[in-house]
Amino acid sequence: MIKLNPKLSQKLSYTLLCITVGLAIVPILMIVFVIVKNGLSAISWEFLTSMPKNGMREGGILPAILGTFSIVLCSIIVTLPIGVCAAIYLNEYAKNNLLTRIIKLAIVNLAGVPSVVYGLFGLGIFVMFFRLGVSIIAGALTLSIMELPVIITTVRGALSSVPHSFREASLSLGVSRWQTIRHIVLPNAIPGILTGTILSIARISGETAPILFTAAAFYVPHLPHSIFDQVMSLPYHLYIISTQIPNMPKNLIYGTALVLLMMVLTMSCVAIIARIYFRKRRKW
Amino acid sequence: MVNKIKVKQLSCYYNKKCVLKSLSINIVQNEILSVIGPANSGKTTFLRTLNRMNDLNIAYYRDGVVYLDDNNIFDMNMEKLRRRVGMLFAMPIPLPMSIYENIVYAPKLFGLIKTKSEQNDIVEQTLKDASLWDEVKDRLNFSAMKMSGGQQQRLCIARILAVNPEVILFDEPCSGLDPISTAKVEEAMIELKRKYTIVLVTNNVKQASRVSDKTAFFLMGRLIEIDKTGELFVSPKKKETEDYITGRFG
Repeated sequence: MIKLNPKLSQKLSYTLLCITVGLAIVPILMIVFVIVKNGLSAISWEFLTSMPKNGMREGGILPAILGTFSIVLCSIIVTLPIGVCAAIYLNEYAKNNLLTRIIKLAIVNLAGVPSVVYGLFGLGIFVMFFRLGVSIIAGALTLSIMELPVIITTVRGALSSVPHSFREASLSLGVSRWQTIRHIVLPNAIPGILTGTILSIARISGETAPILFTAAAFYVPHLPHSIFDQVMSLPYHLYIISTQIPNMPKNLIYGTALVLLMMVLTMSCVAIIARIYFRKRRKW
Repeated sequence: MVNKIKVKQLSCYYNKKCVLKSLSINIVQNEILSVIGPANSGKTTFLRTLNRMNDLNIAYYRDGVVYLDDNNIFDMNMEKLRRRVGMLFAMPIPLPMSIYENIVYAPKLFGLIKTKSEQNDIVEQTLKDASLWDEVKDRLNFSAMKMSGGQQQRLCIARILAVNPEVILFDEPCSGLDPISTAKVEEAMIELKRKYTIVLVTNNVKQASRVSDKTAFFLMGRLIEIDKTGELFVSPKKKETEDYITGRFG
């Protein structure tokens, strides 16, 4: 064992830690840099608001943007109420017995299932068994199932961050459990629930595998009319134009990637701003 | 001399460990009973059993009966019981809202007050009863979290009064307070016993002698002695009591 003097070992470990931080950040910056450099020239008002033309080699990506938007919106409308209610049950009501522990374990493990497995599941259940066909609703439900464990976990985190003493104070006045949750716990957990939700929206808008078999279409010549329509979606569109279409202009590919990236980054920023805003307003 | 609460053969356990052994005690209406004793003597468990706050703890198990006006509290609806038996905790716990909202929170949920003027009346009345009105009357819409510890504790008293209970339980209410705030809380307590029955758990033997009519001494989960406060402090009958109040242990 080589013995270093404390000063040297301090310097050495400090340098090492700095390098690892650099290693973590550099790829992210490079991705953003490459995409912005190659894609910025494609971005224009027309690109964002018109239909693809000439076998998708020209024109815009409006149907893909709207498709992603509608799938994500439907999915969050389904997931959020179920997720919040399940989290309230698990956090506030469930007794700590074997069944509860199994449920909690299942939730943690479900969050780790590969997304393509969810895609196949959605194909089997929603598209074929429930005969929803390849549609916005089938894709949204598949994404919901995938996102549910994450939402439940975040909401539970937000609920348990509300001090236990608030619940005791409220209960000791004779206020019922549900009223305590409704008037004390939930209002104070809203910031955490909100930021968690925005982050999961950001996450699912980039998912490709779950909607691959359940919602996404190669090309749809019109905008979505109803939730039973097939739609184009940004991540799947990106996959198609970068692998399936010969002579695809490079800046359109990177432009599409940039739009997707910006959508996700904007939502993350909104989440961060919301968190700062609520933290300042918090009274405890 | 009406017995407001009658405790009969009450035993309490946490994880099968007995923390309170067959306790029988009567609490007289409109009196202050203080419970003193060293740590782990079961005082707080006793208090939290009286409004069933311990029922939330799954490790907790109990045996015996407690009567409130001849009704067994363990057969009662928990919410109704807690409205009749309020509790003040060791640390002041204002809810994260304004002073005003803290007081009207529970009565509003119970439908006790409907109009704005009724709300204003109850806020003014309870804050006066908790001797806090003069200090906060100009800033009722300020956050309760920004008040001093002593003010918060008196706000919590006012909040309990707003649901119009019959019994108030104080769990070491002054343990985090300075002497002046303590004096104010004690003052409020003595005022309150005219309308309410009070049980005070305290680590401060002098506080018990200052405010209470009767004092009970707990040791290792057993009631050692209960007597009029004057009697117990002047001529305790048991040696353990004498040792504790003269400061030989605990």
